[in-house]
Amino acid sequence: MSDISQAITGRPGAAFVSRFSMRDAGTLIGLVVILGFFGALVPGFFAERNLINILQQSSINACLALGMTLVIISGGIDLSVGPTAALSAVISASMLMAGAPIPLAIAAGLAIGLAGGLVNGILVAHVGLQPFIVTLGTLSTYRALALIYTGGNPVLGLPADFRAVFNGSLLGLPLSVVIVAMVALVAWIILKKTPFGEYLLAVGGNEEAAYIAGVPIARTKIAAYMISGLLAALAAQILIGRLGAAEPILGNLWELDAIAAAAIGGASLMGGKGSVIGTILGAVVLGSMRNGLTLMNVQSFYQLLATGLIILAAMLIDRVTRGRG
Amino acid sequence: MFEIPRLKFEGVSKVFPGVRALSDVSFAIGAGEAHGLLGENGAGKSTLLRILSGVYRPTAGHIAIDGKPVAFANPVAARQAGIAMIHQELQQVARLSVAQNMFLGQPLTRSGIFVASREQERRAAEALAAIDPNIDPAVPIGTLKVAQRQIVEIARALLNRAKVVAMDEPTSSLTPAEFERLAEVIAGLARDGVAVVYVSHKLDEVFGICRRATIMRDGVVVDSVDLADLPEKAVVAMMVGRELAQEKHRSHKSGDVRLTARSLSSATKVRDVSFDLHRGELLGIAGLVGSGRTELLRLLAGADRLSSGAIEIDGRSVRLSSPRDAIAAGIGLVPEERKREGIVPLRSIISNMALSSMKVFAPRVLIDNRRLRRVAAEKMQRVNLRPFLLDRPIRLFSGGNQQKAIIGRWLAAGTRILLFDEPTRGIDVGAKAEIYHLIEELAAEGHSVIVVSSELPEVIRLADRVLVMREGTVAAELEGTDLNEHAIAAHAIPQSKRQPGQADAGRASA
Repeated sequence: MSDISQAITGRPGAAFVSRFSMRDAGTLIGLVVILGFFGALVPGFFAERNLINILQQSSINACLALGMTLVIISGGIDLSVGPTAALSAVISASMLMAGAPIPLAIAAGLAIGLAGGLVNGILVAHVGLQPFIVTLGTLSTYRALALIYTGGNPVLGLPADFRAVFNGSLLGLPLSVVIVAMVALVAWIILKKTPFGEYLLAVGGNEEAAYIAGVPIARTKIAAYMISGLLAALAAQILIGRLGAAEPILGNLWELDAIAAAAIGGASLMGGKGSVIGTILGAVVLGSMRNGLTLMNVQSFYQLLATGLIILAAMLIDRVTRGRG
Repeated sequence: MFEIPRLKFEGVSKVFPGVRALSDVSFAIGAGEAHGLLGENGAGKSTLLRILSGVYRPTAGHIAIDGKPVAFANPVAARQAGIAMIHQELQQVARLSVAQNMFLGQPLTRSGIFVASREQERRAAEALAAIDPNIDPAVPIGTLKVAQRQIVEIARALLNRAKVVAMDEPTSSLTPAEFERLAEVIAGLARDGVAVVYVSHKLDEVFGICRRATIMRDGVVVDSVDLADLPEKAVVAMMVGRELAQEKHRSHKSGDVRLTARSLSSATKVRDVSFDLHRGELLGIAGLVGSGRTELLRLLAGADRLSSGAIEIDGRSVRLSSPRDAIAAGIGLVPEERKREGIVPLRSIISNMALSSMKVFAPRVLIDNRRLRRVAAEKMQRVNLRPFLLDRPIRLFSGGNQQKAIIGRWLAAGTRILLFDEPTRGIDVGAKAEIYHLIEELAAEGHSVIVVSSELPEVIRLADRVLVMREGTVAAELEGTDLNEHAIAAHAIPQSKRQPGQADAGRASA
């Protein structure tokens, strides 16, 4: 009897454990270690201003990485996020320069992201091509479209009203951080509380079994790529709002940072596993490391080295602590 | 006169977490002896073979070869010690040639770098010549028939100068003529002093091939016997632990037809299959591996497309273009390959159960967690999940309990037609009986159930009526007194491969 009632209500604390898994705790410990390291070495690292800086610098990668996490959980990968962002940026920017209303320009930019994701999703789910190859192809295609559209030139001098949309602050936090925090909350709810979240985990965890169990495989995958495209476009809006200009070469190698954040946060490239909290922590890990190294005046070559090592270290710790699971 | 046995098991035990698979197994096989290893599914035969071939290490006890105790760290060590395993599912690389497969993992080389293909083919041909000179060592092994591929495995054992050859259900997909050939080859091996371990649950084969046999049940050796002195019935009694008093079968079939299959055909295997399935009926489907049984279930479950024919449920025609459609129509499949098609290993019991009924648990946007947990607790109690840990990843449960969770999935989805493909494959003896009872209870509650099984006693025990499939069609429909192992076997074997004169008896009852 106690078995049953316990099963219904869950063990005391079980809900908390399931919301904040052991793996997330591991990422958090990693973050604390890195923060402690730089806090000890860099004067002023823990200043409020710098911490906010870290969050702001991490926000764009976090935004992309959230979409990437959903795609990775579904068993795929999205290499095209950077070019998707660039295409979204130049289209929004040129609309603004042509005098389009701000909401329309933003909506069009976001729609471009959704469309880019839709193409990826259809090629993966309906045509049955491999996600790596599909998004490698659209990586070049979308980049080329952005370059062709602008003739390779940046779109400069975006209107101040537009820039104000993304450069404000709320409760002392930059608006970009608030927006990405809200996106993270929505992503967390999607993954933990909706059928779509269960479907993503099932499709990535065992596609054949999910199919037999009646999971709408194609719809689930396409939705994941569309969300990834949408979030890439959102990141682009935040960035051009901050810079006041849109370059067609924007977002170069963004996909790598996004994959790194998701992987550090516990997403498995085999699919079926990943965490929104972990990904956010992973993005902040990468952001604080870059911030700290920059403050220490470490050459960018060594920053690249540190990023590489931190990814490898996270994966090694993963393997050692969890075996083959 | 005392001879040192070629192969000896001495007090071998194997314990897995929560399961004692083998306990104190001891018996010996002499050089040149073909020795049967008999037992029901789950008796421990496969575990014993895995220990023999170095896949598992025994928890206690050891194996001795020619009187010397050996311990294998891995399958390669076992092979080097002269043990050759011939698996039921042949472990060959289809695209590589016969010779390449025979030297797989230990290629002949020139100067240690280049593979000496010609030399490999010459030696492969030599080894094959002794048993089947018709096999060309240069062709891709995938182009050979299963029987020939088995011969290749045996030739490979000869090549490695094996002292012990262990065969696991070698004949499950062989025709009688091919079996005769295999029996000759085995006799040849024995003449050369090889000890042959022959695992099968087909008694007539074991009696035909082996002089002695060891009978196992529930992980222990019941006895090692001389088959010459013993009637088949006595051996069966030792295998199942009782005289085979058939458990009384009670039918719950009612008048109403729930599902009608009209001339179902698929692009691949199924040809023109028609039948009715009633409310509360337990319909068995028997037939050889590859006769189209699994494919038929996949058609009914919406997993594969019909190329022609129609499915009616409660008198209305339904179009099943995906498992989703089938589930909406009240049909659920419990697949044979649980790991590949059944479970999402990393997810909890609850998540695995809820997957097919998300519309129920998330009427609007969010999942109603309370309702989900309540239903999960109820269904998992109904199927007697053990341990009763609903949040635990399903991969940590035994095969039997994974199967129960999948059954619970369909109960939660309100499924009325359950399709079981080999429901007790890879499930231990205790859980097997539970699954049987569960299936019978489901039928008693009014579910319509189809059970595909290769184990004839299983089909006969469970089913009210059995369709025997042969080469994609229904060869016979057996019921009542016509329903027995001999009748099923007679209909299951393809005509072209039968001995002349074998009657097509029983067809009349269809």
